Amino acid sequence: MVTLTYYPGCSLKTSSKFYETSIREVFSFYGIDIKELDDWSCCGASVAHTVDEMLAHVLAARNIAIAEADGNPVFVPCSACYSRSKITNDKIIKDKGLRDKVNEYIYPLRCLGTTEIKNIIEIFSEHVGIEKIAKGLSFDLSSIKVVPYYGCMLTRIPKTDVFDDCEDPLSMDTLLWAAGTEVLRWPFKIECCGASETITNKNVTSSLSGKIMDMACAVGADAIITTCPLCQMNLDLLPHLGRKTDNIPVLFLTEVFELAIKGKIIGKGSHIIPVDQVIKKPIRRLKTQTQH
Amino acid sequence: MINPEEAYKYMDNLEFLHEIENASDENISSCYQCYKCSIGCPVVVEMDVLPHRIIRHIINGNQEKVLGSKSIWMCLQCKACSVRCPNDIDIAHVIDTLRKISVKLNMYAEKDIRLFDNLFLESIKARGRLYELEVLMKYKIAKKDILSDTKMGIDMIFKGRMGILPHNIKDRKTLKTIFKKIEDDRTNE
Repeated sequence: MVTLTYYPGCSLKTSSKFYETSIREVFSFYGIDIKELDDWSCCGASVAHTVDEMLAHVLAARNIAIAEADGNPVFVPCSACYSRSKITNDKIIKDKGLRDKVNEYIYPLRCLGTTEIKNIIEIFSEHVGIEKIAKGLSFDLSSIKVVPYYGCMLTRIPKTDVFDDCEDPLSMDTLLWAAGTEVLRWPFKIECCGASETITNKNVTSSLSGKIMDMACAVGADAIITTCPLCQMNLDLLPHLGRKTDNIPVLFLTEVFELAIKGKIIGKGSHIIPVDQVIKKPIRRLKTQTQH
Repeated sequence: MINPEEAYKYMDNLEFLHEIENASDENISSCYQCYKCSIGCPVVVEMDVLPHRIIRHIINGNQEKVLGSKSIWMCLQCKACSVRCPNDIDIAHVIDTLRKISVKLNMYAEKDIRLFDNLFLESIKARGRLYELEVLMKYKIAKKDILSDTKMGIDMIFKGRMGILPHNIKDRKTLKTIFKKIEDDRTNE
């Protein structure tokens, strides 16, 4: 049993609450214990750094400092929170001037960069592994064709050692393959969904997310799989952003695991684009097949 | 056509380049115009000055051209340019730096994005966590556009994708003090 400090971020408590439910469901199956970070605050998201870089570092460092007391790795499922926390943690380690300044602001808290920041793909790859995933399958998902969608924040952190290739990441492909789905190759793994432009410039999001949806449909996918709450929301909101053509469901990675181990998705009612066409596909595996 | 005398004037004006290089800590002068940033940019159609040209304008000291551009506000900070730059210039970070300076000098062309940013941070300062509904409503009231997107909003609330109540942190007092201290230091800079 592994214990992780869990930093949910604002999205997983509001607009993507069902992502948290799904994470808890799947983690308890794989024996991962998560402890929510005490009195965590917003990481500053895509906004703080564009107004004041020091503010962005201080907001992220406040949470990391609280987490350091426990010493467990920090699990950050939201891509924006992960990227901001990772950037600040790295700078805290490398840049003494910044470290001192940040610690002055957050005093009596202290952030030293002693803990690891991990995203959800890393947690599955390192703490569960493809063998355990494959052995724990109860449902055959081979009829479901998926395209892994990483988005931009997860693998594009300049001047930092990133966990996967920034142009052609494969870590989520591997996990989806282990879960039994048919993983398709497609060119839009790391395209941008339009980020927070959904509010200030709706047409940009509609156009960028629309292209991603078009490509996923063109390669014949049944579902787009992502780990980022903002990517999921922008793509899922496409019917409301003026898109008239067909859409396929946008699932979180953990929802695929839910399908593979339980045969259902708890948060299906929260999806804007109905997920029924995917859920109806899985068929129960024979017991003998599971033991292979 | 720029006459040689005018060209010389540009060469002489490296002040702006140094200012942006210092503020961003990026080695902007190492750019050799390979265009990779502009080619990979997802919002290039929205831009009035393409990313590689922004870098070139900085080197040439054309302050107004970049600080008053729409482009620096269209950037989504997706960092495709930054990870592809052969000279390791974090272009998205340069653009982020230009935004701050353009606001400081009141030269910014797009006001909506900064309006949203400020409302967002206001919410964090007061509550510690984002209260989406409040920020959205304040933005819509400021834009005098309350009725658009109601269908989307209702669907989101109905599907449990919009928090009705705020999620405040316990230690709001300390967080507010931190915000205040940073804001004061910024104005004193």
